[in-house]
Amino acid sequence: MIGNVVPAVRAAVFIVIALVLCGVIFEIAGFSAPLMFESILEGAFLRRGALEQALRWGLPMFITALGVVISFRAGYFNIGGQGQFYMGAIAAAFVAEWLKGSPAALVIPACFIAGMTGGALWALWPGILRIKSGADEVITTLMGNFIASLVLVYVTAGPLKDPSGSGQQASSRPLDAAYRISNSIGLSPTIIVIAILTGVLVWTLLNRTSFGVLAGLAGRNPTMVEWQGARVWRIGLASFLISGALAGLAGTIEFMGPNGRLAGGFLPGHGFTAILIALVANLSVVGTAAAALFFGGLASAALFLPILAGLPSAAIDIINAAISLFITAKSGFIDRLANLGKGQWTKS
Amino acid sequence: MDEILIATLRSGTPLVYAALAGVIAQRAGIWHLGLEGLMIAGACATIIGIVVTQSVLVALIIAVAVCMLGSVLLWLVVEKLKANQIIAGLGLTGLGLGGTTLAVQSIFGTQAAVSAPFGLPKIGPAFGPFASLSVLALLMPVAVIVVWIMLRRTRFGLRLTASGEHPFAARSAGVNPSMMRLAALLIGGVLCALAGAELAAGSLNIFAQNMTAGRGFMGFAAAIFGAGHPIGASCAALFFAVVGALGIRAQIVFGDRVPHDLLLALPYIATVFGIWLSARLRGGTKALTGFGELRDQ
Amino acid sequence: MILECRNLTVRYGKVTALRDVDVQLEANRIHAVVGQNGAGKTTFARVVAGLVRPDTGDLRMAGAPITAGNVSISRQSGIELVHQSFALPPSFTVAEAMQFGADGGTLFTKKALERRWQAHLDKLDIRVRADRRIRDLPVELQQAVEIARALVSDAKLLILDEPTAVLSPEGAARLFDQVRHLRDRGVTVVLILHKIREVLAVAETVTVLRGGERVAGPLETTQIDSDRLAELIIGSASDELDEEDRAALTGAAIPAHAHASAVSDGAAPVLDMRDVSTLRDSDGPGLESIDLSIRPGEIVGIAGVEGNGQRSLVRTIAGLANVSEGTVGLDGRDVTRKSLADRRVAGLRIIPFERNVEGLSLNSPLWENWSALGLLRKPLFATISPGGFRRGCVQALDNWDVVYADVNQHAGSLSGGNAQKLILSREIDETARLVIAAQPTRGLDIGATAFVWDALRRARARDCGILFVSSDLDEIFDISDRVAVMVSGRIQAVFEPPFEISRVGAAMTGAVQ
Repeated sequence: MIGNVVPAVRAAVFIVIALVLCGVIFEIAGFSAPLMFESILEGAFLRRGALEQALRWGLPMFITALGVVISFRAGYFNIGGQGQFYMGAIAAAFVAEWLKGSPAALVIPACFIAGMTGGALWALWPGILRIKSGADEVITTLMGNFIASLVLVYVTAGPLKDPSGSGQQASSRPLDAAYRISNSIGLSPTIIVIAILTGVLVWTLLNRTSFGVLAGLAGRNPTMVEWQGARVWRIGLASFLISGALAGLAGTIEFMGPNGRLAGGFLPGHGFTAILIALVANLSVVGTAAAALFFGGLASAALFLPILAGLPSAAIDIINAAISLFITAKSGFIDRLANLGKGQWTKS
Repeated sequence: MDEILIATLRSGTPLVYAALAGVIAQRAGIWHLGLEGLMIAGACATIIGIVVTQSVLVALIIAVAVCMLGSVLLWLVVEKLKANQIIAGLGLTGLGLGGTTLAVQSIFGTQAAVSAPFGLPKIGPAFGPFASLSVLALLMPVAVIVVWIMLRRTRFGLRLTASGEHPFAARSAGVNPSMMRLAALLIGGVLCALAGAELAAGSLNIFAQNMTAGRGFMGFAAAIFGAGHPIGASCAALFFAVVGALGIRAQIVFGDRVPHDLLLALPYIATVFGIWLSARLRGGTKALTGFGELRDQ
Repeated sequence: MILECRNLTVRYGKVTALRDVDVQLEANRIHAVVGQNGAGKTTFARVVAGLVRPDTGDLRMAGAPITAGNVSISRQSGIELVHQSFALPPSFTVAEAMQFGADGGTLFTKKALERRWQAHLDKLDIRVRADRRIRDLPVELQQAVEIARALVSDAKLLILDEPTAVLSPEGAARLFDQVRHLRDRGVTVVLILHKIREVLAVAETVTVLRGGERVAGPLETTQIDSDRLAELIIGSASDELDEEDRAALTGAAIPAHAHASAVSDGAAPVLDMRDVSTLRDSDGPGLESIDLSIRPGEIVGIAGVEGNGQRSLVRTIAGLANVSEGTVGLDGRDVTRKSLADRRVAGLRIIPFERNVEGLSLNSPLWENWSALGLLRKPLFATISPGGFRRGCVQALDNWDVVYADVNQHAGSLSGGNAQKLILSREIDETARLVIAAQPTRGLDIGATAFVWDALRRARARDCGILFVSSDLDEIFDISDRVAVMVSGRIQAVFEPPFEISRVGAAMTGAVQ
């Protein structure tokens, strides 16, 4: 536990620095920074029902973030959570459309399987390109995000188009109420149970299986694991697939729960926020749960800001971006500060 | 044919400038995923600058200043605080995307696109059908050559490259790799400002949210595809642009028979193809290792 | 005095690399600085060159004080350092590698650049074309280029850090000729060495470092003999070392091979390579028709200048290279097409070349590093008990005398010797049949080196076969029962004891036996 103090203190300090930077940006842009932070705080954590809203936004991001944790731990920079999330939702939507009229007990599990498969497949090709050819997964997964969001636009404006839909934003036909796993407020026992179950499974996978320990070793030094006789590509491909499947699971939850339909470009910041959650949590499962609640709160504040405070929701994007700018920073000073009690003054 | 060529130059010019910025940063040892953010900041600053000051030159100066400021921020975080380059770069990109939205909202009170009364000067009727291209498109080949000379034919360029390839060698020769990276990022900032200016004020004279749509990332990919060589990277950038132009052409030719949105995905697919190809040819495009180092304990 | 150092102290965290070192060197002579690994030789060189800022102490060059910890200032005052592992960007041409550290020539053409530096190389009598890329040059030429780079400006003091480590005995002799030539031209040369034989062959004075302190010197080499020098280098720390090992450690005399084992001729070999060839790869030339066998209870030494296929050989036995021809047999089974995992099951164990890259994951806990082999024997998604592995690790580390605080500490926090012991504890187990020890003592101090030798000899006593790769001939002669010399991916010659350095050295340069 002591070992976790330094990263936690460091994360806290850099989040504060990031918020100061945000304050400067808000002031330059002509908004009052104190008012902005006060409104965000209220929207995220203090207003009535804030916890419920934080959970509604946080739980799907928690699941995608667990996928990020797995791939980052294994040393692969899968930043394509957004695309895998979309592909999961799209796959689930097709299956729901195809099985329309069947009993919910069949359709709901089928949609989940389809969603996880869709996400996993969208992570599979960058994984193969990376592991078999050495193509940098940062770029391929990023491009995968752009391609997936165009596919989403195509699907919602084409095969799954809701003819009664109006406005600029194309959307798919709504999911039958019988198949929904939550109402539009977005929090239901089903979703909570799925999130807890996923968290427990991922924790077990990372801490109580060969895969977890070997992936941790391979993430830090794949060469060493190779010289031990491991087939590193199996570990790598498995982590790509699992992380994609988790993002697809989150997409399925959003589709079958709060959203109830697909819309072009819905939840555009989901994947990026999930990466932040994983990093703020220092890639630990328990930390991811806590960080997901925090960023879930911020996400709900993004809706609250323009409606109730008359402030732009881009403020939340800026806070997220600034945190990501600083979150991986290291500082000898903070490390020394945190180590003070242990008498470990060392010169870097 | 001319139409495709013009469309390629129009969409390719910002990509080439961004790719050059990526090449310089990569040579100095920084994988610059903040290109996207700097580019949109440059685009936004140019349009707002034109609207507010009515002067293209002043607008460009503002854009360059903003992008250099962003570059310094990235340098501080990556070099002084030892942050992960990829995550910090994505953060800078997010800051650019969010910050431009906020700026437009705060100045114009709307999230809609902002249009400027005029844009960059055009190269004029002397160039026949290409008259409507901007001067930055004309300057693009010059920029490529200048960057190439700077990197391969000056001592500064050698020191920059040494700082990225073998920082210890640079230090042993009395070169400070950190300062060389700052220089590389600052030059990259200027190029990103030009990329953004061309994108926004080259033909449409408009700024819209997220209008870069991944072009900065494609510039980064072009730098990899081009093996860190300015001419190779420019060719890669133009290749992505050709694919995009052909896609748009296909829409006109085939109409509704081919899904419009999927044709828009062609440049992204071309980028993936380029990264894969260069990996196959050179045995991997992975310059950075140790991503697992993100975890502390 | 051209160089005067006073009270130099350098600390890295808790480790003191240099403590109050005072050294005065006379101009226009060849000086040697000797000491074992960890004695502070490289740190000393880097402080003088301005790459490391000392915590205390000051430097004077030709009487004038210079600011410590600034490379530019050190270079301006005429100090140049040639690194042990060279500091040349591999993608540069020779001319570019010279140019980037030189003055003048802000803007240039390729032709002018190459003309300028070709003239410089010719003047120094270094036969290399200025348009060749660094990465394509053999090690010996890279060193020559590095020396030429150091002499681009008007160098007054040239420091060479362990220059002979990458050379054959003949190559070293040529280097020493060049060093004398430079001395005659007015350059003061400081050679960082660790072999007494070489010190006595080339240097005029010798300074001995031990444990970060100067224990003697500068002494005139004409007034000291090799026994006295060996005593100064080793100190009292190694009373349990026998004569042979002491000689091997200091390079004072050629070991006469007193540690030979009794290998039973009839036993089936644990390694049997027949006519093995591999494709050229990034590690350099592939193997060409290698025939090599190791019997149980035998240590076979692989000698040769680095970069002559030793790494390909190790990777081929490990199953990490593409074998184009021939067969590899392990303990009686043909494993040519088997993966490393299967070979490990068959009893292959590896102490790899790069301890910190191939051997350990420095940022992972000790117990994870130790458990990797055990984890790989299970299915990928099998559940495990980390507690069990931690306990096993504690026991193994205690058995192997590893000094550590906690099995959760990072492997990177161990000293080099303890890190190597951790690898030994993982690799040398009851079921080991063939142990590949690739440069297992590189960078280790006396105690750890002796520990590694002892561990290998004990493994031999248990009938393991051992492949011992090293670029240090003294060490190879001391420990091996048989020595094979590799040149350009081939086995040039095989020697039985007693070994003669002249014959082995000749084989290393490719002279046909």
